[in-house]
Parts: sequence; structure tokens; C-alpha cells
Amino acid sequence: MARSKLIRAPTTASLPNNLRIPPTTPSLTKTLGKHSRQALIELALTWLDDQHLASFPPYLQSDARHDKDNEEALPYPAADTVEDARQAYMDFQDRKGAKREVLERILEGDWRHGITLRQLAMADLRYLDDHPTSLRWTALELSRTDTRRGISNDAPMTDWSASIPRTQVATFVKALQQEISPLVKAHYHLSRSSTLPLTFLRIFVLDTPYQTPRQSSEIFADSSRIIYVAFPDSCPYVYTSITTSPGSKANPSSNSAGTDSRSLLRLVRDAVPKALSRPHERYTLKATALAAKNLPTLLALRGPGRTTAANGAFCIFADAAVEGSPLDPRPSNTVSAEEYIRADSVDIAFDDKENVDIASASKTMPKREADLATPRDLSPQTSKKRRLATLSRFGCAEISSNPAPLDSLDVRLLDGPSNTKSTDDNVTEIADSGSATLPTVTLTFTGSDVVGGLRKLAELGIIDPERMPSWMTGEEAVSTAVVKGGKRLRSDV
Amino acid sequence: MPFQARGATASPDPHEQELDADLQTIRAEIRALQRRKRYLASSLLSSDSIQKLMRKPSQTPTSLREDVSPLAEAAGKHADSNHHRIAFGTTAFPFKDPSPSATPGNLLGVRIDVCTRGGRFAKPYYVLLRPEREKRLRVHRHTVPSFIDLPRLENVYLPSTGPRVEGENRAEGTGVQKGARNQDLRGFVRELRRELAAWHLREDTVQLLREKLGLCEALLIDPADRLTPEARGGIVALEPTSMEARYLRLEWEDGRVGRLKLSNSGIVERAVVIGDDGRDKIVEDAMTGGGGRVESLLERLRDRIGAT
Repeated sequence: MARSKLIRAPTTASLPNNLRIPPTTPSLTKTLGKHSRQALIELALTWLDDQHLASFPPYLQSDARHDKDNEEALPYPAADTVEDARQAYMDFQDRKGAKREVLERILEGDWRHGITLRQLAMADLRYLDDHPTSLRWTALELSRTDTRRGISNDAPMTDWSASIPRTQVATFVKALQQEISPLVKAHYHLSRSSTLPLTFLRIFVLDTPYQTPRQSSEIFADSSRIIYVAFPDSCPYVYTSITTSPGSKANPSSNSAGTDSRSLLRLVRDAVPKALSRPHERYTLKATALAAKNLPTLLALRGPGRTTAANGAFCIFADAAVEGSPLDPRPSNTVSAEEYIRADSVDIAFDDKENVDIASASKTMPKREADLATPRDLSPQTSKKRRLATLSRFGCAEISSNPAPLDSLDVRLLDGPSNTKSTDDNVTEIADSGSATLPTVTLTFTGSDVVGGLRKLAELGIIDPERMPSWMTGEEAVSTAVVKGGKRLRSDV
Repeated sequence: MPFQARGATASPDPHEQELDADLQTIRAEIRALQRRKRYLASSLLSSDSIQKLMRKPSQTPTSLREDVSPLAEAAGKHADSNHHRIAFGTTAFPFKDPSPSATPGNLLGVRIDVCTRGGRFAKPYYVLLRPEREKRLRVHRHTVPSFIDLPRLENVYLPSTGPRVEGENRAEGTGVQKGARNQDLRGFVRELRRELAAWHLREDTVQLLREKLGLCEALLIDPADRLTPEARGGIVALEPTSMEARYLRLEWEDGRVGRLKLSNSGIVERAVVIGDDGRDKIVEDAMTGGGGRVESLLERLRDRIGAT
């Protein structure tokens, strides 16, 4: 190959956007193959869009004339013009067919000379948009380290806006690059999420100082070398896709020499707050004990909105479901919470049960009613009382406008064995002997919606809603907690 | 419900579907009317004349009073609390924490109502305060958006006596004895409410400017107040950069882009406009000059363009 004869010198530049990955790379095929047919077609059309065309032009007839090596070896003749290539994908869109043909056309036809790093990044972010639960995200809090300025003296301050760093994209990426370039070679891609109020930063890291890496092309589509950082709008939080806790400063010597992809990712993550910092405005990342697969959950629990600090029993306040606006003449006990929550929407769409086929009717019927139809103790008073108790503990999360399902909840109980209540069958219980005198119990709940499930158990009377501790109701808005006496210990976060 | 089974088996008949659609619209109308009736009934009950009438026992027949008086009383109470909410903007209420580990679990709730454009009120904001040792209050839960730095506000106005690291730092820095500072709940609520109101005002102003420029559909202003296309000065976009609406981004049709910072009191604090040939100082001056009120921003720009 001609490429190996080039002079290779270590640089501190980032990996170029137009670095091409050979389309024969199996992992590339796998990465792109994750997408749906529709997504692939849309991606190709985006790539062929005028604003991106210059960065990764498709292989056209004019290119084919220059190299005579691989004539008619490939099933897709090179398109004459960009317009032709666009038309080909439009045609795909119009008819049904296999995903395979679109993928093959991309890899063996229009981009047979290689998929650039930027295209790969765009494809990955598109996948994130389509599959918001494909990664596990950890929420971190950005906080100022120079507390001296944050503390007021007696002169009253007027600006109470939170210290959210404001920066330009180019400046931020440059600063980040400066932080990590001695150790890590990286490719950066920033993009705005199309569905959520978030900005994604995708960083692909390599442990080489060379511009044209010698590693096999397989490595470019290696998902373990990618770190995603999401910046939600208007709130001092950052979400990252790596799950290690940022306690790395405590033991920097233990794995600072490692160059495996994990420690590279950690380096990058640690560099993010530094890149956001400015003179006299230093930031650091603090753990917030929340990790979840669902980005909307993170946005609800560590986001800019009302629900960040009011969950569980308090979500009635977040939803403003207790009382109406001061102009509402109806006494608040005569209006249902549902009506308050949906007050903004034009009309409350109730399902008309009539003339609806049975399948959909049973689907629209609230699960709660279906479950309560077979309660264990049948007295209507008990069930009503229980329902009210559940409602008071969990709030109106079921009809809430901002549901936040947690996929796991990890709780360590520090109470003595006499205090711990008898555990349920549904609970995986791992006892570990952390301290010599006091055995601690760790409870791990997993599922698609842990708090929702606990709520259902409470409604069925399996959990006593009045006596259950508040961390079971999702009130603390965390996914890992250390609990003593029913209260979460904050110092152990 | 008898229709259900038939609907499941029978193929969708166009006539039947039409009837279904009719039924749905009628039901929706009934619901809307029922809601309206409840609204009217409660407004009537809480109206001043009815309330006064009910307070005079001699004039109403006993049977009617027994029927209506609980309702009227509830309506009267509700109207009272609404008047408080409207007049003072901030009201307090007790709340019992349902958690069994919270002892005693009595919380002090603070409700903040902010009136927005178009005569509506935003969803109320709540702060629930938890009493701690020596009758000191800590923020327990709240629904304040996180771009308002509530922890800092709390540290300043509701300092705790506990052995907190921040507390010690502050004592060193200012030379004040630890725990000597009193909590100032009024100050806390005042500052918080000011921030919230300023945020809604900023949002409303952005909306107003957008309406004047014809950039959005829903109109709360008189169509006559809308600027003519010539008077818009070529502005094609005006939007807040984030939810906080502290920074606005402007875009002109000739490619110039601008950014301005709003203060809490509605003054354009800073403005930058950059075109292909560098900064446009004239437009920047027009934005920040003349008092700098953001509401009259577009008029200032128009006058400046007309003058040059």
C-alpha cells in the first residue's frame, strides 16, 4: 500500500474528519447494520446533502475513470452525478425491500472508497436518536470549585442564576483537545439531538500519536473506544456514557499508566470539566448517584425542569396537580389531578369505550383497574384506603406528564438486622459482609421501570404503602443509595 | 358496552364509523359543557354577592342554606386563598411528609405564583422547607428550575448551624461567628420570586418580540402592532439560546448574527452583532442605547436604520 510509505510523525492534532475507513471492515458493516432501513436511507441522503457533500463526496463515474483497477468487480456502477446517487436512495425510499441492499449500496457503491470518521459519527448519533435506551448514562453535576466567589458577603447579590458554563463549540473542543492530546488521539463530533433538549459530543479515542494510525481499520468502529457526553440545556449537569464513578482523583496512581481504552475514556471524561473551565471559573464533576438507560429519565431527574428536586410523593408539586391557577374558581378538592396536569392541552382525550374492538379496549383500560380487579383482600374499603395511601406515597406518577422509569435501583442498607423488614420474593438479595460487626444488605432491583413496579406492588397490597421507606417511592431520584434508618446518607454518594 | 362485541367482529362499516365520529364529537361537547357548568357554578358560588347573601342568615330560607352553605363556604374559602395568591404572589401552607422515616414530617410549603403574558398564571412553583434543629429551615424539595441556583440562595438566606463545610468557610471569610447569622425566610422567598418572575418576563418579552416580527403564529398583540416587513430591518430569526432566555440570538437576512444579554430588569446589557465585515457597531449601539429596554428594541433598530 502506498500509504505506509508516508512519513509518520507524532502530532497533537485530532483525528481528521475525512479519515476513511475501508468499507470492507467487518465491524463497520456491523455498526451500520444496526440501523433500520429507513434510517440508513435518511443517513445516505443527509450525506448527499449539499452542506455535507464536500466533506465526503460519493464515488462517481469521474472517479471511476481515474482508477482502472476495480472495474466491474462491484455490483453497483458508480453514479454519474450526485443527483443520480440521491435519486437512487429516493427510489429505495419509495419501494419496500431489504435493509441489506441499502447497506450494500452505501458500502460497495457510493462510498466504496471508504466511510469517513465523520460519517460514522453521524451514523452513531442517529442511532442514539432512534434508540434512546441503547446506552447507559451517568448523570454528573458540574460545580464550581472556587467556592470563595460563590459565597456572598453581606452585600446582597442580585444574580442567582446557576453557574452553567457558557462556551462556544469550537472553543470547547479546542480546549478539550489541548487537555487530552498528549495522551489520546481523538475524533470529535458535536451534534444537537433531534428529539431531546440535549447536545451530544461523541469522542472516539485512540492511543496513538500518529495522524495515520497503523492500527487495523477494525478499531475505528470499536464501540468501546467511544465516549458520549451529553450536555442538557440550561442546567448544571452533564451525562456521560461511561459508568465509572469520577472518584478517579482519589487514586490516580493505581491506573494512570494504563493505555487501555477504558482509562483513555476516563482521561477524556476528566478533561471535560477542565475544558469548560475558564480562568477564575473552575468546574469539577460530581457524582449524583444516578445512572439510567433512558435519557428522558435523566432529563426528568437531573434536568432543567421542575421534576429535578420533587419526586416520589412530591411529584404532585412538580406536576402542579394539587391546586390550580389562582384564577381557577373551582375548589381544589373537586378537581382531579389529571385535569390539572392536562390543563394546558386543549381537550382531554378520553377513550370512548363504545365500538372499540376488544383488544384495543383492554389495552386502553388502565392497568391499575385490571390489577385491582383481583385483589387479595376483597373489601372495597381496604382497597380504596390502600389506593389513597399509594397515591400519597407515589404521587400521581402514573398520569404524570414526565415519567421517569429507572432500570435499576441499588440500595445498601446500613441498619442492623433487627431493623430490616422482611424482604419480598421479587427482590434479589445479596448480603455482603462489608463490616465485621454489622452485616449490610444490598438490594438490587432491576426491570424496565423499577419505581413503577414497586408502585404496582403497593397497589396490590404486597408492600405496605404507609410503612415503606421513601427511597422505594423514587423520591430520592437516585439509582444507587446508601440508606440508614430509612434515610439516604448524602455523604456516601 | 353491548356494542363492544359487535364492533370487534363486524367489519368497519363506513356508516357506522361516521356515527362513531358523531358520537365522539357529541361526547366531547358534553364534557366541555359539563366542565363549563362546573366553572360557572363555582364562580357563581364564590362571587361576592352570593357570599354576602349567604352571610345574612335572615334572608335565605333555611332549607336552601343547609343545601348550599357547605358548598358556598368551600367556594368562599377557595376564593379567599385565590385572592391571597393573586395579591401577594407567595403563600405558605403546611404539608405532611408521608414518609415514615421523616419525624415528625411537618413541612412548610411555600407556593409562588407568577403571572405571565395573556393574563394567565404559570404553573405554581413550590418550595418545601424542613424544620431542623433550633427551628432552622432547610430546603427539602422544590420545583424550581435548576438554572436558578437554589443551593446558593439557601446558603445565603437560610444558613444552617450544622457542622457543614460551607458554613465554616463562610465564618472564616467574613469573620462572623458560626451560627450567628439568622435565617431570613422573607429574603429567601423574595429573591427566589424575583428570579422566577424575571425569567417569565424574559420569556414573555421574547415572545412579544417574535410576535412583532411575525415569527410566530399565536398572537396576543394587536395585529396593527406587528411590524411591517420593511420595519423589521431584515431580522429573520430571534430566539433565546436556552430555556433560561437570558441570551437572545438574532439573525439578519444579510447573514449578520447578533447576540444580546438581558438583565433581570429587562435591559439589554450587552449586544454583539457580527457580519461578514466585522462588528456592526451601529446596530449594537442601537440595541444597548436609549435606555436599553428590550421591549422597544425593534423600534430603536428601526429608527436607527431609518436615520442612516
